[in-house]
Amino acid sequence: MTTAAIAPDPVPERRGVFTAELLDRCISCGFCLPACPTYALTGVETSSPRGRINLMRALETGVLPDDDPTVQEESSFCLGCRACEPVCPAGVQYGELVEEWRDHLWNGRGRPWKVRPLLWAVDSPRRVRAMGIVRRHAGRGEAPGPVNLMLGCFERVLYPRVSRDARKLAGELAAPAAQGCCGALHAHNGELGRGRQLAQRLGEALPGTIVTTSGGCGAHLAGVLGGDRVKELSQWLHARDGAVVGNPTAARPRIGLQDSCHLRHGLGVWREPRELIARVGEYVELPSAAGCCGGAGSYAIVRPQDSARVLDRHLDEIAGADLDLVAVVNAGCYRQLQQGVKRRRLRTRVLHLAELLAGVK
Amino acid sequence: MTTTATPTGLRERLEAVVGHDHVRTDEGALVTFSMDATPLERGRPDAVVFPATADEVAGVLRIANERGVPLIARGSGTNLSAGTVPHRGGIVLVLTRMNRVKEVSGAELVAVCEPGVRTIELAQAAAAKGLLFPPDPGSQSTATVGGNVAECAGGLRALKYGVTRDYVLGVQAVLATGEIIRSGGRLVKDVAGYDLRRLLCGSEGTLAVMTELTLRLVPAPEASGYGMAYFPDLAAAARAVSRVLASGVLPVTLEFLDQVCIGAVEDYAQIGLDTSAGALLIFGQDGDPAVIERDLERMAQACATEGATSVRIAESPEAASEVLEARRAALPSLSRLEPLTLLEDATVPRSRIAEMVEYIQEVARRHQLKIGTFGHAGDGNLHPTAVLDPADEGAVGRARAAFGEIFARAIELDGTITGEHGIGLVKLRYLERQLGADHMALLRRIKAAFDPNGILNPGKLGS
Repeated sequence: MTTAAIAPDPVPERRGVFTAELLDRCISCGFCLPACPTYALTGVETSSPRGRINLMRALETGVLPDDDPTVQEESSFCLGCRACEPVCPAGVQYGELVEEWRDHLWNGRGRPWKVRPLLWAVDSPRRVRAMGIVRRHAGRGEAPGPVNLMLGCFERVLYPRVSRDARKLAGELAAPAAQGCCGALHAHNGELGRGRQLAQRLGEALPGTIVTTSGGCGAHLAGVLGGDRVKELSQWLHARDGAVVGNPTAARPRIGLQDSCHLRHGLGVWREPRELIARVGEYVELPSAAGCCGGAGSYAIVRPQDSARVLDRHLDEIAGADLDLVAVVNAGCYRQLQQGVKRRRLRTRVLHLAELLAGVK
Repeated sequence: MTTTATPTGLRERLEAVVGHDHVRTDEGALVTFSMDATPLERGRPDAVVFPATADEVAGVLRIANERGVPLIARGSGTNLSAGTVPHRGGIVLVLTRMNRVKEVSGAELVAVCEPGVRTIELAQAAAAKGLLFPPDPGSQSTATVGGNVAECAGGLRALKYGVTRDYVLGVQAVLATGEIIRSGGRLVKDVAGYDLRRLLCGSEGTLAVMTELTLRLVPAPEASGYGMAYFPDLAAAARAVSRVLASGVLPVTLEFLDQVCIGAVEDYAQIGLDTSAGALLIFGQDGDPAVIERDLERMAQACATEGATSVRIAESPEAASEVLEARRAALPSLSRLEPLTLLEDATVPRSRIAEMVEYIQEVARRHQLKIGTFGHAGDGNLHPTAVLDPADEGAVGRARAAFGEIFARAIELDGTITGEHGIGLVKLRYLERQLGADHMALLRRIKAAFDPNGILNPGKLGS
């Protein structure tokens, strides 16, 4: 670094694909490698956060073209879990970089075809409402209150009980049905502008504080609307009640947790769900609790095989710990773990934290 | 970076050794293996190979040797002297698939592992049996044992426990010509032949490729304790270090931060440091709790005697963690000031630390640079760290000039241009100044004996 046997590259022209301050932050120390699930699977630098940042830099300076197969593959192989962020000494905001990467590569025809119908479905608040109309979620024709429950898009369809149980835990939450998707799915899949727009629109539909039952939505919304207005359920409940220790029942179930990546790495919320679980059972920390389960939003649909490989370790640990329950705090993790547990025929039940707390209340 | 096709037939021959899935020649992969953790340095390889066994390594080496293709062995790529940058192209041999801890023996106090095991994994495997693998370089969570041995990595515990070379009992290595040799083994005493395992330790991938390491372990200490002291200037802190060592204490930790670092850490981490102080000294001991208490007391006393403005001994593990936080945050804090951070490791005898750090500040002023210095006060290993504004076009050139002067001064003070990062690509030009022409010629003859065709990490040590 202090002498060059070869001269450093002349300052290259930038294409403007990435925000310069974000891309320049990385000091290439490599501390992110052991935190990355896809590096753990492959052991190949190219599939690590540092490797991907070097691909982004090559793209930015024109060393590699947009249609470079490795660039394309890695932009999609990355889970976008952001586990590399808390271990980064230089404070690289990798999640933002991945969103810019996909916004550049996937806008238009580059997007994986499997996510297109998903984005279409949640793109319009009316469609989101229509999807949920036959399901018994908490939404109703009421006006927003000072604190509003976000119903989610796929969550209201797949797991309508989550919002109902959240209401059961906190009657003061208003749940107006007239609300759309938060836009996280768009932002993570190459439609950054639309993702921000949908978040703004949701912010207008739900003025005041928004409480969400999905960590991924929470991090995206907080990124657009600010952390003061957006709270994830466990974070909000914990702040409301404090770490009250519940009545230990005669039989306390053994309960694990699957962190939501963006809740943990994006919003820094991880202690709260653990303390809430400890009120109702014996909390068991799985070694991989903080690692991505492979659900990763639409990842499980776009790359089912890689997604299953990432999940395997989690299932091994759940089986090994012989848990009664595993709690989740995000709809994508819910689906991922539920299917995995079923596939392996484990006795462990997967529940959203809201369902868990409401069920024993 | 120029784009050229893979040399004819190279990919096919490599595939025949390691299998189709373990050779990468796609342009994207080559980009990501063209650098390590060293800023600014890069070189595009022709192929990246991931062998799984010593025999596969030997097969790849025979191909490289026969074709005269450079071969650069690599672990996780945390090198800070561009030692694993393939600046002449060739084959990058990545050893991360060879990641088995084969044995940890409490009865024999040894561990046997493959080179791609991460250092933290080895340390954890040892800890599970109540043992300690002492070398703890800053990159230990990412870096591999093989890389640490090839670079003779140091770390924070070096004063008391020594460096990586002090723990290498035996190696299995593949020569450039494809033969597999062993040097040393499980024995503490073994003088049969030249001490090649020690020669390979710190040889930076220029003599052979290590494929198995037998490492010495020690019983894990029962406990540890820490304290900190502020000084009006670094000279006082340095005198305190001398007084500590003269008082019969061999501490496990003696780390310092200069005023620039204290300011940077406080700006970033806001942990309540006294930014008016000229230096911060962090001291620690491990072992028997009674010994820890006695030694911390002695060290606090030594600091007070040498004019420390405040001394604090951590009463609890949480308080100890706060004390260590300042040191841990030094590099992150500096690296957040500007995106380009040049981290060096000039090392001087500990009696010259104050002199050296003052000189570093003088050089920084003269070249209009911001350089913070932190490091291992116990062993004189300094980390002057220049933070450069990318908008300042001349900054890189001025930093190179400044570090040239800093290295020259380190040599004058009976120090070294590198305590633990290695010569690599970036410090080769300063090496002769330190070693002299005769010594350099001997290095080259040794290199030629091991690697007659000059394929192993060419253009670096021994070239």
